[in-house]
Amino acid sequence: MTVVVVTGTGVVCSIAADLVEFATALRAGNCGINSRPDMVSDPMRPWLAADLPEWNFARRLTESASSSALHPAVPEIARRAAGRAPVGVQMSVVVAMQAWAQARLAVHPVDPERVAVIVAGHNLNGSSAAIAAERHARSPVHLSPRYALQFMDTDHVATVSEVLGVRGEGCTVGGASASGNVAIVHACRMIAADAADACLVIGAMSDLSAAERQAFYNLGVMAGAVSRSDPLRRCRPFDVKREGFVPGAGAACLVLESAASAARRGVEALARIAGSAIGLDGNSLADPTVAGEVSVMRRALARARLRPGQVDYVNAHATASVLGDVVELAALDEVFGADGRPWLNSTKGLTGHCLSAAGLVEAVATVVQLREGFVHPNRNLEEPLASRCRLTGSSAVPARLRVAVSNGFGFGGFNSSVVFTDAA
Amino acid sequence: MAAIRRSVLDIFPDLDPALVTEDRSLQELGCNSVDRVDVVAMTMEDLGVSVAASDFRGVRNIGALATLLRRHA
Repeated sequence: MTVVVVTGTGVVCSIAADLVEFATALRAGNCGINSRPDMVSDPMRPWLAADLPEWNFARRLTESASSSALHPAVPEIARRAAGRAPVGVQMSVVVAMQAWAQARLAVHPVDPERVAVIVAGHNLNGSSAAIAAERHARSPVHLSPRYALQFMDTDHVATVSEVLGVRGEGCTVGGASASGNVAIVHACRMIAADAADACLVIGAMSDLSAAERQAFYNLGVMAGAVSRSDPLRRCRPFDVKREGFVPGAGAACLVLESAASAARRGVEALARIAGSAIGLDGNSLADPTVAGEVSVMRRALARARLRPGQVDYVNAHATASVLGDVVELAALDEVFGADGRPWLNSTKGLTGHCLSAAGLVEAVATVVQLREGFVHPNRNLEEPLASRCRLTGSSAVPARLRVAVSNGFGFGGFNSSVVFTDAA
Repeated sequence: MAAIRRSVLDIFPDLDPALVTEDRSLQELGCNSVDRVDVVAMTMEDLGVSVAASDFRGVRNIGALATLLRRHA
């Protein structure tokens, strides 16, 4: 059986511009949620978001130019390929460059035809689409021809391949909010099938249009309807007074690689993907089920040849939605029963719900906690829902973690679970 | 010509504006296939003109592009 390991990680989100900042922010329990000033006064509009504090692609490239872990031509190729691209594509490029550098792929390369790119997510460009539609309505002939390339989610795959010189397989993989985990599973299969030695798995930013944001809000799954003050207190995963999720801007990347390839290159494995599972609920609604979530966690653990009692930590899907959190806790209780009490937290309480990218942002969070030996806080957890798991409170807990489970569940009954173990 | 120069510089902020001359092609300035059609669309918008895509066939340099756009102004 092919062993798949993580050799590189990258992340950009509301609380961090890179991996080092991310580790610090997780430990501190920093929260990137803020109010959108133009929306606060209208009770019918979504007013909360965990947006990036700033985004300057040119500056990010200049900073990366000093990195000896990247080919010196990469920043200039990136500027040329993505300088005029939407922010989401630029973020995909930056997280891919970070992970590429950490995996030492420039210094100890893999044959470019044996490197693959999978971008997790779909409908990534809602905001650009809305701008293009408005432009088109005003004056069709002046619509930017570039939009023909940019409206396709595959633009993320193509642009990253150009920047890093990747020549292996490439595709997008989707599964609503489970997209990140679904992409990780498909990357592992690609490597196990010997179609690639290494795969960049990129969780791309969901650049929501105003209409998409509003639809979530109208559906009643977004926080902010209960109170319109204290943005930092509105996202409350696992709390009795939770209100719903807050959308977050984020992108993240894992370099997954066969253990044999990492060993050949003499590169350290950061963690190992020990097992995973995907399953559908047979249900097109936003109604999660205990049975579906139990099934993927059990199957993922069985594939990892691990008992529930061996799991030290669960990075929950936990968006802080009223139904989702309670269903996930019930599923966790059923899986773990009397056999174990893993630590449990929700990264979405800090970063917001990064939608397409959530699975990758949380995979990076999981790897960071495994390696650094802590469990990050649960923000705003004042009155916890009943659970057999050990929920962290307002501070991080030092913990020796060997086995971690990361869950991802999406609208339309997309269930997924990935088991990470330490590299040893 | 000034409008074309503005569009090219929008795409290549570091380019020497003096290089945008009538006898040069957009390709010679480093524009790829998408940059070229983008320069045309941006310039048309800047000038408030509309030219059918088919009319650009046969345009080989910046001077010819300027002439075509001027004819539709």
